[in-house]
Amino acid sequence: MNLATSDVPVMPRGVRLHEDKVRNRWVLLAPERAISLDPVGHAILLEIDGSQSFGGIVSTLAGKYNAPEDQIAADVAEFINGLMDRCILKVLA
Amino acid sequence: MAWTKPIIREIEC
Repeated sequence: MNLATSDVPVMPRGVRLHEDKVRNRWVLLAPERAISLDPVGHAILLEIDGSQSFGGIVSTLAGKYNAPEDQIAADVAEFINGLMDRCILKVLA
Repeated sequence: MAWTKPIIREIEC
């Protein structure tokens, strides 16, 4: 799915971030499944608050990481689409 | 911290 800059990604009910202190990492817990997050994946999910749009998330991360917006937009879109395919994220148009 | 492409790694049961 192509994400529009105005699309708002949200975590559905039952999906949450959790700090796995045993292994010193963050995981995304969803019903019947769990995703291990790398630092960038965690940073993306911290921006997904149910109100910030895809475009806003990309701009925020581009400023934070001092990286080109088009590269960040492509990587974030692929990440969000991967989680949507697993029914762990959804997007409000 | 540098930007790297995020990986989705599903934790198998």
